[in-house]
Amino acid sequence: MSRKVIDYLEQLLLVFGIFIAFLLLFESKLVVPLWLQPLGRMHPLLLHFPIVMLLIAFGMEFFRFNPPNSSHSFYLLFLRNLWLIGAVLTGTTVVMGLFLAKEQGYDGQTLPWHKWTGVVVFYVALAGYWVRQQAWYQAAIAKGFVSIAALILVITGHFGAVLTHGDNFISGPLQTPESVPFDEAVVFDHVIQPIFEQKCVSCHNPDKIKGELMLTDQQSILKGGKTGKLFVPGQPQVSLLLQRIHLPLDDKKHMPPVGKVQLNPQEIMLLSLWIKANADFKKKVADLPVNDSLRLIAATLLAPVSAPQETFDFAAADEETIKKLTTEFRSIVPLAHESPALSVNFFNKNLYNPEKIKELAEIKKQVVFLNLAKMPVKDADLGQVVAFENLQKLNLNFTDITGKGLKELTSLKKLKNLSLAGTQISIKDLQAVIPSFQNLNTVAIWNTGLTPSEMQQLKKEFKNINFIEGFKDDGSNPIKLNPPQVKNSAMVFENSLAVLLSHPVKGVQIRYTTDGTEPDSIHSPLFTNQTVINNSTHIRAKAYKDGWYGSDVINFDFLKRTYKPDSVRLLLPLNRVHQAEGEKSFFDTKLGTFNANSPAWANNWIGVRNNDMALISEFKKPALVSSVELRIMEEVETGIFPPEKIEVWGGTNPNQLRLIATFKPSIPTQQRPHLLTIVGGKFKPQSVTFLKIVAKPLQKIPDWHSAKGRTALLLVDELLIN
Amino acid sequence: MEKEILEHGLSFNRRRFLSTMSLGLGSVALGSLMIPNLLNGGDMDEAGFTPGIPHFAPKAKRVIYLFQNGAPSQMELFDYKPKLREMMGQEIPPSVRGNQRLTGMTANQASFPLAGSFVDFKQYGQAGAWVSDLMPYTAKIVDDLCIIKSMYTEAINHDPALTFLQTGSQQGNRPSMGAWLSYGLGNENKNLPDFTVLLSRGIGNGQGVYSKLWSNGFLDSIHQGVQFSKGEDPVLYIRDPEGMNRKERREMLDNLAELNQLSYEQFGDPEIAAKIKQYEMAYRMQTAVPEVMDLSKESDDIVKLYGPDCLVPGTYAANCLLARKLSENGVRFVQLYHQGWDQHGNLPFEIQSQAKDVDQASAALVTDLKQRGLLDETLVIWGGEFGRTSYSQGKLTKDNYGRDHHPRCFTIWMAGGGIKPGLVYGDTDEVGYNIARNPVHVHDFQATVLHLLGLNHEKLIFKHLGRRYRLTDVSGKVVRDIMS
Repeated sequence: MSRKVIDYLEQLLLVFGIFIAFLLLFESKLVVPLWLQPLGRMHPLLLHFPIVMLLIAFGMEFFRFNPPNSSHSFYLLFLRNLWLIGAVLTGTTVVMGLFLAKEQGYDGQTLPWHKWTGVVVFYVALAGYWVRQQAWYQAAIAKGFVSIAALILVITGHFGAVLTHGDNFISGPLQTPESVPFDEAVVFDHVIQPIFEQKCVSCHNPDKIKGELMLTDQQSILKGGKTGKLFVPGQPQVSLLLQRIHLPLDDKKHMPPVGKVQLNPQEIMLLSLWIKANADFKKKVADLPVNDSLRLIAATLLAPVSAPQETFDFAAADEETIKKLTTEFRSIVPLAHESPALSVNFFNKNLYNPEKIKELAEIKKQVVFLNLAKMPVKDADLGQVVAFENLQKLNLNFTDITGKGLKELTSLKKLKNLSLAGTQISIKDLQAVIPSFQNLNTVAIWNTGLTPSEMQQLKKEFKNINFIEGFKDDGSNPIKLNPPQVKNSAMVFENSLAVLLSHPVKGVQIRYTTDGTEPDSIHSPLFTNQTVINNSTHIRAKAYKDGWYGSDVINFDFLKRTYKPDSVRLLLPLNRVHQAEGEKSFFDTKLGTFNANSPAWANNWIGVRNNDMALISEFKKPALVSSVELRIMEEVETGIFPPEKIEVWGGTNPNQLRLIATFKPSIPTQQRPHLLTIVGGKFKPQSVTFLKIVAKPLQKIPDWHSAKGRTALLLVDELLIN
Repeated sequence: MEKEILEHGLSFNRRRFLSTMSLGLGSVALGSLMIPNLLNGGDMDEAGFTPGIPHFAPKAKRVIYLFQNGAPSQMELFDYKPKLREMMGQEIPPSVRGNQRLTGMTANQASFPLAGSFVDFKQYGQAGAWVSDLMPYTAKIVDDLCIIKSMYTEAINHDPALTFLQTGSQQGNRPSMGAWLSYGLGNENKNLPDFTVLLSRGIGNGQGVYSKLWSNGFLDSIHQGVQFSKGEDPVLYIRDPEGMNRKERREMLDNLAELNQLSYEQFGDPEIAAKIKQYEMAYRMQTAVPEVMDLSKESDDIVKLYGPDCLVPGTYAANCLLARKLSENGVRFVQLYHQGWDQHGNLPFEIQSQAKDVDQASAALVTDLKQRGLLDETLVIWGGEFGRTSYSQGKLTKDNYGRDHHPRCFTIWMAGGGIKPGLVYGDTDEVGYNIARNPVHVHDFQATVLHLLGLNHEKLIFKHLGRRYRLTDVSGKVVRDIMS
């Protein structure tokens, strides 16, 4: 080769050196344009040349310093040129390989190994080319260097071969293939027996009959072993086989014994389900009912371990077209990255019209799923739907189609799944069209005019089709109604109140009482939205409807508060968490709920623990007060108790108030459910302009409580002055 | 002369240097052709990931996460431990407890008596799964569920545990699972948000939930969860104010968008761009939401299926029904929280009412999705943030006890999209304290959820402050055993 050519090649080698380093550095961001992909795919073609060249070069290098080679000028020249060309071709191959690796489908552990060993080979060849011209480069170094280089080269080649041909390519013909088509698979032969073969037969075979048990064929399995029969058909729970499997691992009789490969839960379940289904040796998997667990699990087992993604034999639609056709009421999405198949969903029935289906003509080949549920689709529109020749799943739930439209659909050769719930179809329509579908396997028919017996008939008639019948209440398991609700905006009122009770379920009767007795469906008055109350009232109500159990009783306390003071002032501080809105909260008609220990729900509760709750209210116009009540929460478990004592002070001068009344609410004597209640009471009517109320938290929680001796928390959400 | 020779040498070297240099630079330039945005420093997504399109064919398109906030006790619901009844009142062996960090609520407790469940269990379904009598409706659908008894987490208190489960980090500030899915899968129905949140509350001891749980974190704010309120009006101000018609509203928004666009061009703040999108979304929601939220057209069968509470806004049952309707209308991620599961004391009383709140409606949701043909494409998840201890917190009596937080094992169930039905996965030891078989870490769970939705959890990445973030942080492996 002329010096010029060699110069070029050397420079090219250098370029590759930098270029490859660059590609590796930014690999994660690398995007290989479409027109470069063929170059990548030439990697498997080209790679054989550099392998051979480098191997020969390494071989010759090994003997380079041996006479007469060391003085043979052609030998040396040839070797150098071979090395150079080999290295350049290695660089080319590596670049191509990096491009190829960017394509889909190379995800395993092998690729990184192949890539990095390949890169090492290249840089070794590149470095070697210059190093071997140095003065210090001697025989020993050369031999060691090329031996290692050759080894890495062979390893790289091996990983590459694994990538292209798979792991067991060479030993492959010696292994038996395991795949059985689903339709032909027999439960015992292809699901159960393989479990025995993998986990049991190594000890239970004609050559090694442990426990006098063989698990190799039907007769020996039925015969059982030394301890008895293996199973009772239909009764997995008393079957010896499963007993042994379920024993604790350290039990001597546990099978398989410690140290052997154990059964996994799926295998155990399969064995159990098989025995439960009477341990049939002949039954085909495909003959089991569609929803049978044994069939479902067997199906996943029989399918190849990583089921290949379904491939479609049509080209992808243009991205621009998809973008153009996607609107806010019609979504068009590929099934997966780089999949040509599309799924189309319609939303918002006000914007639907048949034209919107027609507009999809450009992607009629690609649409595989179409969801028109709840759109006002008419029979005539189905003429447009038929255009989607590759359609597999069509959802027409709650559309306006009828039996007539169905006939059109039979020309959809690939349709597997058809949803017709909530439509006007009849059993005759279905009987007429189902045989004309070629691939149909699932049909949803709930909420149609079909009666349960018609559904059964369909199921009998078309065994291969999974009919989705949906939930239908047959009245055999009535459930309880929920209680009525109150719709009044506040439960605290000033003079009188029209009570508003309602129930969310249509056609419900509400019965109620005001005297504390439990309402029933016969004696208690029917609530009619005309009940007006003038005093604090405790209403108990229940809901009734035919076909349902009556609801639980619900209690509503409507609280009357005649006087709202013109100003209120707190005399002592409140608990940090239970500030609510300060003194305003006493008269804001906002009531609190349980769970006040959590800051999120403490909103309406005013609380004290370390001091008394004391407030003074002022009435600009003297008020004739005859009762003072506090609405409180009692949550014994968390230490929220009623107050120990309530004092009511009144008068016309805030500095000279006198004690009007003292109340001592009853303190719970044992754990009891949470409670929202009223404490306080009536007294002789007094005319006051100032009213002071002092409530003392319980100072010592009783002895039966886990927090005995401590001070209880007092929570108040409203103050009622009448 | 010498000088000239030297100069010649130098200039020769310079020429060589420059030509070699140019080769090097040339190769870099060539390489940069293949790397978009490298030289202009633009923000780029990771290779192989296009926001809005899954990495591979998904098993599920949508998620409904029925979060049982407060941590339901597995021993009273799904994890049957007859041994605990036998050992009632005995100390938990220290060897079982090991060096488990305890919460401040029981760390000082002198004794740790084992507490057997007050409720009985039976086996249901073809898989023979054990379910307690507190969950009669769930028991009926166990053949549709995959019950995982071997979940475990790292946190021992509610907020960190909840944040960990939802965002993959105990500290917060990261995007929630729903936000990640919105980012990864994009919109299905452009009239509704990708990620919605519904809250309800039982009478049991509750724990707060905070909006950080449905935060978009560092992702674009359009991925943030939209909380629907509990009242009669799930979305406030959804109707146009009186006197304003659709046309005027449209014009107003167009003008506003123009102004916003101007300030976006001036300041370049992405939040302004997000704001424009949000206004548009709100406009479209005005027509879509009333249709979705209308419960009055649900048939009586549906009301009986979910239970009558499904017509009472703000209840768990109503939220389940809404979740179905939202999901049916293309909302990617519907997150429910039912509060009140934190039974430190008074457990037998409180858990009954909590279970009653959720049992029928959760089961109904699965049944309803199934009959609509949506269960195949919808992943339903039921579970809390951690488990509860097998020993009693506070005093143990025959019919009253409490249970403290327990991170080492808890039970959840999943159903639908790509989940193997009728499976009970994982086991705990005889006293329900440690996992005996097939542990599933929170990150494993998250990786599995993403996988079912067609996303590789190692590739769903967002670069923020110079670091690449994932929902599963730096760990997590897909639990293939539970996938069909």
